Amino acid sequence: MINITKFAYEPGEHEAEKASNSYLMSLIALIAGLPIPIINLLATLIFYLGNRKGTYFVRWHCTQALLSQFSVLFINSYGFWWTVSIIFTDQSVTNNYIAYIIAAIIFNLTEFIATIYTAIQTRKGIHVEWWFYGSLSNLICKPES
Amino acid sequence: MKKTFAQGIIIIVLFFFTWFLLTQLDWMTIFKVEKITDKTEEKLGELFWDNFKKSERENMNPYVANSIDTIVNKICIENEIDKQKIKLHIFDKYEVNAFALPNGHLLIYSGLILAAENQEELSGVICHEIAHIQLNHVMKKLIKEVGLSVIISMASGNGGAEIIKETAKLLSSTAFDRSLEKEADIKAVEYLINAKINPEAFANFLYKQSADEHEALKYLSWLNTHPDSKERAEYIIAYCENKSVKYEPILSTATWEKLKEEL
Repeated sequence: MINITKFAYEPGEHEAEKASNSYLMSLIALIAGLPIPIINLLATLIFYLGNRKGTYFVRWHCTQALLSQFSVLFINSYGFWWTVSIIFTDQSVTNNYIAYIIAAIIFNLTEFIATIYTAIQTRKGIHVEWWFYGSLSNLICKPES
Repeated sequence: MKKTFAQGIIIIVLFFFTWFLLTQLDWMTIFKVEKITDKTEEKLGELFWDNFKKSERENMNPYVANSIDTIVNKICIENEIDKQKIKLHIFDKYEVNAFALPNGHLLIYSGLILAAENQEELSGVICHEIAHIQLNHVMKKLIKEVGLSVIISMASGNGGAEIIKETAKLLSSTAFDRSLEKEADIKAVEYLINAKINPEAFANFLYKQSADEHEALKYLSWLNTHPDSKERAEYIIAYCENKSVKYEPILSTATWEKLKEEL
């Protein structure tokens, strides 16, 4: 799922810190905005926009951090509105609902752990590419732009 | 590009597969969801029942209770409904009304029994209310009208007496959703047919009441809270048109007459 590869160049100390921060940003937002799933996406989006003109290594990791938020955004939004409809309308708790919430927790936890791991590795200047999100970032983020 | 796309699909499939696998487990039992819900309903039922018991006069005449119980019993047996679940209460009140409370409490006002021309009409209304109980409409209505948080606070003993009173009033004097009413009507007709009671009488009752709605509006709560009686009568007739069942009375004519006298 997580691949350590060699980046196009050796990132400097300052770059590594910034790139690592992009993951930390999503983590903090995830904790703060857990009930409202859009907050962590917004936080990483703001960080991404702020670093658009950063170096290639920083841009690449901001992109990966942002993209990784999308899948949990969909999962969490659906779970969030499902919960709201149970509390405020006549829908009731079903087996499907509980299974969904557990599946959502598993995916969120996986993402959470992967994010912590990546934040640590990136801080050391090690380039970490995630399954799917890594190759998607490669497509979006090019060395010169 | 292709590889990325395939990986994306795999992630989506993986999520749905995890969800599917998890649905195979019976989480409702693991988390005791049903038990908690039942407990809440039981508690609420007791709260509302206490409220009505205090404010209104229950008819304790054993003849009346036994006669109505015979009807309810027959309906329950023929439809495989757990009779223990239906807690029947008759109140002395000249309002034409009957309604269900949480946890299977079924309240019938003597006014309704007197307004019914024959036992089939009364059975129709009883079936309609039993259908509300069986289809869990009462809790659905409560959640929709007052919200889950208020219900939980009531059940845990934190609801004020005023809230309980108001909510009880809501249950006794307002209708369910139109779709829920229709569902209960159709179910009621099924119950009636299974119990070999002519459902046309139920339709007639609705029709008749809708005809003199203006005169007796004050007393006809059950009709007021159940709007469009005419339309309802029509779809009940339409629903039972093609059923050929031999209908038979539950109570003898003498019992029915005596029941009315006793009230």
